[in-house]
Amino acid sequence: MPRCFVKLIVPMLFVAGAMVWCAPSVGAQTSLAINAPAQTPLSTRVVAYDMDAHVDTEKKTVDATEILTYKNLTGEPLSSFPFHLYLNAFQPNSTFTSETHFGGGIRDSESGDEYPAKKLGSITILHLEADGFGDLTSTLHFLSPDDHNPDDRTVAALSLPRPVPPGESITFRIRFHDQFPESVARNGYKRDFLMGGQWYPKLGVYTHRPGKPQGEWNCHQYHATTEFFSDFGTFRVRLTLPRRFTVGASGVPTGDQTNADGTRTLSFYGEDIHDFAWAASPHFNVTNGTYLSAMGPVQIRVLALTAHPAAGPRYLAILLASMREFEARYGPYPYKILTLIDPEPGSEMGGMEYPTLITGDASLFDPTYALELTAEHEFGHQYWYGMVATNEFEEAWLDEGINSYTEGKVLGAILGKNTSVFNRPWMNLSDTTAQYLEYMQAPNFDPVTRFAWQFRDAQSYGAITYGKSATLLKTLEALIGKDTMDEAMRTYFLRFRFTHPTTEDFLRTIEEVAVRRGRATAVHGAFSTSPTDPSVPLQAATGAGASTLAGLLRPPARPDIVVGSSLRPFFEQAVYGTRMLDYAVDKISSGPAQWWRPAEGQKLFRSTVTLHRLGDFVLPVTVEVVFSDGSRLRERWDGARDENDRWKTFTYMRNAEVVSAEIDPDHGLLLDTNHFNDSRTTIAKPVPARKIANLWLTALQLSSQLVAWLV
Amino acid sequence: MTPRRSVLLHGLRLVVAHPGALLWTYAFNLGIALLFSVRVHAQFSDVLNHSLAAERLNTAFDAGTLVAAIGRVWHDAPSSGSAAYLGLPLYLAVYFLLVPGTLFCYQSGAPAKLRTLLSMGLSFFWRFIRITLLTLVLFAAILGPLFALESAWSRYVDLHATGMTAIYEELPGIVLLMLVAALLRLYCDLVEVYTVERGEDPGLNAAPSGSPDRRIRKALLPALRTLRQNFFRAYGGFLLLALGGLTAVFLTGRVAVHMLAQPRVWPMFLLAQLGVFLLLASRNWQRGAECALVLENPSFARQPLATADPVHHHMVTAPTFAAQPGSVSAQPAYLDAQPDPEPAAPSLLEPDPAVFERELELGEARHGPSGRSDPNDIR
Repeated sequence: MPRCFVKLIVPMLFVAGAMVWCAPSVGAQTSLAINAPAQTPLSTRVVAYDMDAHVDTEKKTVDATEILTYKNLTGEPLSSFPFHLYLNAFQPNSTFTSETHFGGGIRDSESGDEYPAKKLGSITILHLEADGFGDLTSTLHFLSPDDHNPDDRTVAALSLPRPVPPGESITFRIRFHDQFPESVARNGYKRDFLMGGQWYPKLGVYTHRPGKPQGEWNCHQYHATTEFFSDFGTFRVRLTLPRRFTVGASGVPTGDQTNADGTRTLSFYGEDIHDFAWAASPHFNVTNGTYLSAMGPVQIRVLALTAHPAAGPRYLAILLASMREFEARYGPYPYKILTLIDPEPGSEMGGMEYPTLITGDASLFDPTYALELTAEHEFGHQYWYGMVATNEFEEAWLDEGINSYTEGKVLGAILGKNTSVFNRPWMNLSDTTAQYLEYMQAPNFDPVTRFAWQFRDAQSYGAITYGKSATLLKTLEALIGKDTMDEAMRTYFLRFRFTHPTTEDFLRTIEEVAVRRGRATAVHGAFSTSPTDPSVPLQAATGAGASTLAGLLRPPARPDIVVGSSLRPFFEQAVYGTRMLDYAVDKISSGPAQWWRPAEGQKLFRSTVTLHRLGDFVLPVTVEVVFSDGSRLRERWDGARDENDRWKTFTYMRNAEVVSAEIDPDHGLLLDTNHFNDSRTTIAKPVPARKIANLWLTALQLSSQLVAWLV
Repeated sequence: MTPRRSVLLHGLRLVVAHPGALLWTYAFNLGIALLFSVRVHAQFSDVLNHSLAAERLNTAFDAGTLVAAIGRVWHDAPSSGSAAYLGLPLYLAVYFLLVPGTLFCYQSGAPAKLRTLLSMGLSFFWRFIRITLLTLVLFAAILGPLFALESAWSRYVDLHATGMTAIYEELPGIVLLMLVAALLRLYCDLVEVYTVERGEDPGLNAAPSGSPDRRIRKALLPALRTLRQNFFRAYGGFLLLALGGLTAVFLTGRVAVHMLAQPRVWPMFLLAQLGVFLLLASRNWQRGAECALVLENPSFARQPLATADPVHHHMVTAPTFAAQPGSVSAQPAYLDAQPDPEPAAPSLLEPDPAVFERELELGEARHGPSGRSDPNDIR
């Protein structure tokens, strides 16, 4: 062997050995669907679904078999199992339809007197058995835990003759039939496009509520405003449908088999996900891209309709940018693939999130960033829902609200802080402002923590869950500082990904980080230990270690937490309450100090600034006073000595008159319901009012002429 | 046969020759809108003038701030918006008064003074109300089914097509609907013009009872006949002017909107007003062209009205005879805004006996008792 080879090989072997030693996971067998070793699941895999579905694209039906293995990790014996049967919501007597009819829905609503036949949907369990238990079909019975509607068939439970002991598994074998409705609430078909959103019998989640020794199944009915909640696991799905269809689905594609009958069978596999959706259309154009995350390459697969020729590259660009922003802010995207579906126009399936699969919302003419906004929002749900898998039925704000908050930040970074929705030289609109305006639609009917189906109506649900949640978090960011908030959000994500955290988990994480960084004070002066898992140290899930591959793959931990902090009053009012924040500069005035003498020649002025708390939300505020000599002064007002103390006057004796006063000069308290009265100037600027009046005037003239033309 | 004149040019001459009609209509359009914008301006001034938050609308135009301001005004005074909408019916009422006078001036050549416009508007008010009802009935009867068909077609297209394909398939239906609407509007305009034409002379167009003939149905057939015989001229011109007006509004509006972020209002105001004025001018031009068409195709021949008192006109006119469409003699050129140099025709219902006797005497004196005139005598 030549010496030169030896010189080359020896160092190479040394380097390779060093790599294996330093990062043992590099040499391990990588998982099929996630960028992690196969032996290291990211989540506690409770369920394993294995489904084989035949799709009739003409009749819009699915006939499928499902093998579901459930591992009882609840610590309790289980003898009943509830299943979600969402497609049964699309019937006139269901709770979903009743709610949308009378209270409106966030996706479609049947307000007419007749329920359209084409919008009828159903899922029928034809046969159900369990290994070792035999045929259980006859034990199936419908439940209505939320409203006791006897006609609602969106939840069915079975009873076992004997319980499944803790630690044991049970395997169900189910044969079911789906009838897809025409485009209603995330499901069904539109033209020849099909969306299998909630298309298979899905098991509920067994949860333990704080203070209750006994756990219970969490399996809510399908409501007008609710989304979903389920356990992590694996999904192995085969879809058979005509060859001309292109299919996008959760998980990674693992096979494509052509059949003799003109169909083909596509296989998909997903890991550490809690739902599986698919979409099919003969009109998809595929645009592929790759993002290299800290955990490995991620394939981005965009299936855009041929009717939207410009959509594919736009989707891909915003998804790449969003992945980069999310990784930098919160952590890497661990899955190997992300699929985006561009649904048919006019369908109710746009803007929806499923694990590793999202739907966009393109249109032919789009002068705004609506496409980018939708794609980013749904991608954000891969974090706030997909990985941090909160209960969307009961605490929708934890996914939609947090996601709306991060949406504002991420889109602001990508598209511009003030221009992330509409960007023209003559007009602009930001996503954060749009969320504030949504909040103002119904600001005080419901707290953000209310169960999704218990909101006053769909409008209040949207305003609070999306708008108020994002706005209150933006306000919280102003209170504790951007860096602290960023760290708290990152800590929350890394700590609770692949688990089912609650509102208190989120708030306590923020308190903990804020106290640690000196932006809040602990009420009791010390940290207490989490009752759930005291053995796990805080640094296990956060800090520098979390950014390494080993840190990223470490199992989620329950850290030490804070039992109370100076942020609690804010949480009680903004999160758990419905109070309205509204501070105003009531009046500003200046006059000669020696008022009884002629004003000419006097240099000393007595100025007053009076602040008024109009709302019932009490929060310390800062006011900036500007004087005619250009000097500025910042004052602090705690809002009230007590609830009846609603105003405060600051008095100054200076050689300058007061020119303006502004509450919240840094513009962080976005929860304030009226930003116009936050400030007052002595010099009027009439241009804004004239601009609006001019627009109104012209609109009135044109509409007058139009009406005159008609008659 | 006399070559037909361009109704567009003729109509434009009528509009230009009677600028008062257009200017007064624009003045009322602007004035009423201003009147109902005063409160809106005051309300927004209350919210914005002394607020630093309004700065986003001063040196920029933040749509979020605009919506928040609107929300604040509506929150403080929920009825303000609906009160401002009262400007629409008020303008419509004024419009009903101005249009008959405008048509009268265009046809008669009378100066378009406000007094003339309003007095004619008052005398024709209820007839125009009836025409409006007729217009609405026509629109409902013809456009209603067409709209239903178009909706059905749209639903059918929506079942299988999206994107540009769907637009291309749906566009013909929408265009057809708009073309029919324009045609109906043109016909109703002609009915209005003929109504004014007939109504100019109550003495001539008396109802069987002897009272002034206010039956608008008498104008339906002439309008239809004129439209049928001059279809492409009339319809083409109408569409061209409508398109021109809308294009003017679009272009000026577009430029004006692009000035939204500037910290001044007057350039945007002037441009917007230019667009509004051009739209109104195109509408008046349509009216002028329709009058020109009616002048070419009168429903009857009658006396010149240029000197008539529109308020107290009691003219003795010649007997009515039906106009022969297309015939030169049926064209009352003296009704043109550019008066015929020929002297006016006799204005009495029948020969003045005194004049007749005098002429007989003159005839006898000139030609002898036989009364036969010299064939070479050309008078």
